[in-house]
Amino acid sequence: MYGSFLALNGLDLRVVPGEIYGLLGPNGAGKTTTLRITAGLIEPTAGSVVVSGFDATKDPLHAKTQIGYVAEIPILYESLTPRELFEFEGSVRALAREPTDRKARQLAEAFEVASAFDTPIATLSMGTKQKVAIIAALIHQPPVLLLDEPLNSLDARSSKILKEILSLHVQRGGAVLFSTHVMEIAQRLCSRIGIISGGKIVAEGDLDQLRARAGEKDATLEEVFMKLTNEASEVENIVRMLRESFFDDEDH
Amino acid sequence: MKTTDAWRLSAIPYSEMAFKSILQNSSNMWWGSFGKGSSEASGRKDLVKRALRIARFDKFVITAFVIVAAGAPFLPQVLGASYGIAASVTLSLAVSFALVVLYGVQTLSSFVTSGPSPVLSTLPLTRKDVSLVNLLSFVRTSDYLVVGSVACQVFFVLFVTGSALSGLFMLLTGAMNSVMGVGVALWLSSVFYRNILGSKQGKRGGVLRLALLLAWGVVVLAIGVLFAAAGYLIPLVQSVLTSPDALTGSILSLVYPFSLGISVGSVSQGLALSLVERTALEATVGYLLVAVAVSRWSMTSVTSFPEGASMGTGEGRTHDTSIPLHEPVTAYTMKDLRAASANMPSAFLFTLPAFETLVILLIRAYLPTLGASTILVAMILGGMVSLILPLVLVSSEGTGFDFAKTMPLRMRTIIFSKALITTAVFLPAVAVVLAESLLKPLTSPFSILIPLASILAVAAASLLEVRLFLGFAPSGRVTFALQEFARMAAGAGVVLLPAIIYVVAYILTFNHALAAGAMLVVASVEVLAVTELIRQS
Repeated sequence: MYGSFLALNGLDLRVVPGEIYGLLGPNGAGKTTTLRITAGLIEPTAGSVVVSGFDATKDPLHAKTQIGYVAEIPILYESLTPRELFEFEGSVRALAREPTDRKARQLAEAFEVASAFDTPIATLSMGTKQKVAIIAALIHQPPVLLLDEPLNSLDARSSKILKEILSLHVQRGGAVLFSTHVMEIAQRLCSRIGIISGGKIVAEGDLDQLRARAGEKDATLEEVFMKLTNEASEVENIVRMLRESFFDDEDH
Repeated sequence: MKTTDAWRLSAIPYSEMAFKSILQNSSNMWWGSFGKGSSEASGRKDLVKRALRIARFDKFVITAFVIVAAGAPFLPQVLGASYGIAASVTLSLAVSFALVVLYGVQTLSSFVTSGPSPVLSTLPLTRKDVSLVNLLSFVRTSDYLVVGSVACQVFFVLFVTGSALSGLFMLLTGAMNSVMGVGVALWLSSVFYRNILGSKQGKRGGVLRLALLLAWGVVVLAIGVLFAAAGYLIPLVQSVLTSPDALTGSILSLVYPFSLGISVGSVSQGLALSLVERTALEATVGYLLVAVAVSRWSMTSVTSFPEGASMGTGEGRTHDTSIPLHEPVTAYTMKDLRAASANMPSAFLFTLPAFETLVILLIRAYLPTLGASTILVAMILGGMVSLILPLVLVSSEGTGFDFAKTMPLRMRTIIFSKALITTAVFLPAVAVVLAESLLKPLTSPFSILIPLASILAVAAASLLEVRLFLGFAPSGRVTFALQEFARMAAGAGVVLLPAIIYVVAYILTFNHALAAGAMLVVASVEVLAVTELIRQS
C-alpha cells in the first residue's frame, strides 16, 4: 500500500526455474511494484515473497544474493563510473576476483560499454546507462532475474543480445520475471504470461491458454490483452474520436 | 525576438537549470534527508520536491546574505569612523566577489554539464534567439546577487562620501567585480565538473579536484576570517593604504580588489592623487579590460552551449575492464567518498573540522601554553562540525540508494562505513591539536587524553546519527524537520557529554588526570552502548 492506495491486491504468482514469466498490464496496474517488492526495495504491508526458498521479508540478505534486478529507469550511483559501480557491487556481494573480471569483460564487450568504463554514469546516454544496469544485474549470475522493461532505450543489437542471454539463462535453470508493455516481445520471449490489472493477476498462462480465457481463437497477444483488461472498447472509442475530429481540424 | 520576450522566456530555462543543479548535487539538500521506512521520502519524488523548494528560495536567502555582507564593511564609517573608505570598499568587493563565486559554482553545475535547456533547441527559434535566451537565463543565475550587492555598495559610498562621482565609480567597480565573480564561477564550475564528469578520471584529475576543493575551502575561510576580523582589519588596511611607505601601498594598489578600493576612495578626495592612488587607478583600468575580456568569454561560453560546445563529457577508450574488489565496508566507504566528493561544497566539508580546529588554535595563539580548555573547545567544535557529515553522506546517496537496497547488505555495514568516514574526517582536527602540543608546552600532560576521548565520542555520535537518519522517516514537513534536528542534536549530545564530564570532574577535583580519565571512560561507554544498539536493531 502507498498511503491509502492499494497498489497490489491479493496478487499471487509463481515463476519456476527454466521459464521467462512476462508480466503485462496497463500503467499503474502494479507491475513495477511487484518487481520492487520482490527485489527488496519495498516491504509489502501484507503477504510474502519467496526467492529460491528464501523469504524476502524475513531473510532479505539471502534472497538478494539470488536476484539480479533491472529497474524501469536505471537506478545507479550516477556519480560513480561503471567500473566503480561494479567494484562496489562485486565487493558487497563478495564475488571472486577472477570470475568477476572475466564476466565484466565478456558483458562489457557484448554490450559495447568497455569504452565507458571510466566515465561517470551521469554523463552516459540513457541506452548506455541501461546497459550498465543490465551488466550490474548479470555480473553475479543470479538464478533469478527481475527485469522491469529491460529493453527500454536499448539498440537493436543489445536487445538481441539480452534476449539471447535470457534464453541461455533459462536453459540453464534460471528464472526470469519480466515486465513489458511491448506485446510482440512478450509473445516471442515469454514462456508464460501473467496479465495484471488493478493489482492482481487477472489471467495467466501461455498464449493459447490466454486466448482460450479471452475466448479469442487465433488472436494476437495484444488483442487478448485488450480483451482481458477490458480496454478494447475504450480504445476503439478513442480511435473513432481521433479519426472523426482530430485530423479533421487539420484539414480545416 | 525582443529582448523583453527573451527575458521573460529565460525564466523557464533558468528555473529548470537551478532545479537540475540542486537535484544533481543532492547532498546539498541538507534539510530533508531520507530513511528506509517511507518509499516516498526515499524516492525520486521527494528529492524533486525538495529541489524545487530550494531552487525557489535559495536565491532570495543568498541575496539577502550578500547584501548584508557587502554593506557590513561600511559600518565603521556609518558609525562615525574618520578614516577613508578604501579598505571598506576593498573588503566589500572581496566578500561579494567570493559569495558570487561560491553561489555561482553551485548553481551553474547543470549549465556547464548539459546547457541551460536542450528543449529550446527543439523549438522553432533561430539560433540567435536560443543564444539570447540562454544568455539571459545565465544572467538570471546571479541577477539578484549582483544588483543587490552593487546597489548596497553604491548606497553606502554615496552615504559616506556624499560624492556622486564616487558613487558612479563604485557602480563601475562593483559591476566589474560582479562580472569577474560570475566569470570565475563559470570557469571553476566548468573545470570542476569537467574534471568530475569528464571521460577520464586519472591521478591528474584527482589532484586537480583536490586543488579546487582547497581553493573552495580557502575562499570559504577567507570570508569567515574577513568577517571575524573586520573591525581590526579595516583600520589596519586603511592605514597601510594611506601610509607614507609607498612600497607597501604601491604593491597593494596593483592587487585586486585593493586597486578598485583605493580608486573609489581616491575619487572622493579630489584631484590631488598620491602615487599609490595613481597606480591603483591605472591598475583599475587594467582590471576593467580584464573584466571586459571575462565578460566576452562568459558570453561566448554560455551562448555556445546549445551548439554542443559544452564541457567535453563522454566516453573514452578504455579497454581494461578489470574490477578491483574489497571488503563490503571498505567498498561502501569508497563509494560514499566518491559520491560525496562529486560536488565542491560537500567535498569541502571533509576538510572543515581541521580548518575549524586550526581557527580555534589561531585565536588562542597568544597564550604561552596549550591549556586543556583550548583543547577541549577545539575538539568540541571540530567534533560538532564533523557531525554534519552523516547527514551529507546520507543525503548524497540520492536515488542511487535503491541500487544499494537491492544488494545483500546489512544496515550496519552502511552505518559503519558512514561513521568510519565521519570519524576519519575528525582525525585531522586531532592531528592539528597534537601538532600544536609539540610546539607549545601543555598545562597538563593528561590533557592529551582529551583528543583520544573526543575520537571515541565522535565515533559514537556518528554511529548514532547515521542509525537515526537511516532508521525512519516521519511524514509531514514540520515533523520531518524537527526529527532531523533531533537526530543531529542527539549526535551533538553524545559529543558534548564526555566534555561536560571532564569539566564537572575537574571542577570537583581540580585534577586533570581524573577529569581526562572520566572523559575517556564516558566516551568508551558511549561507543559500546551505540554499537550494542546498532547490533540489536
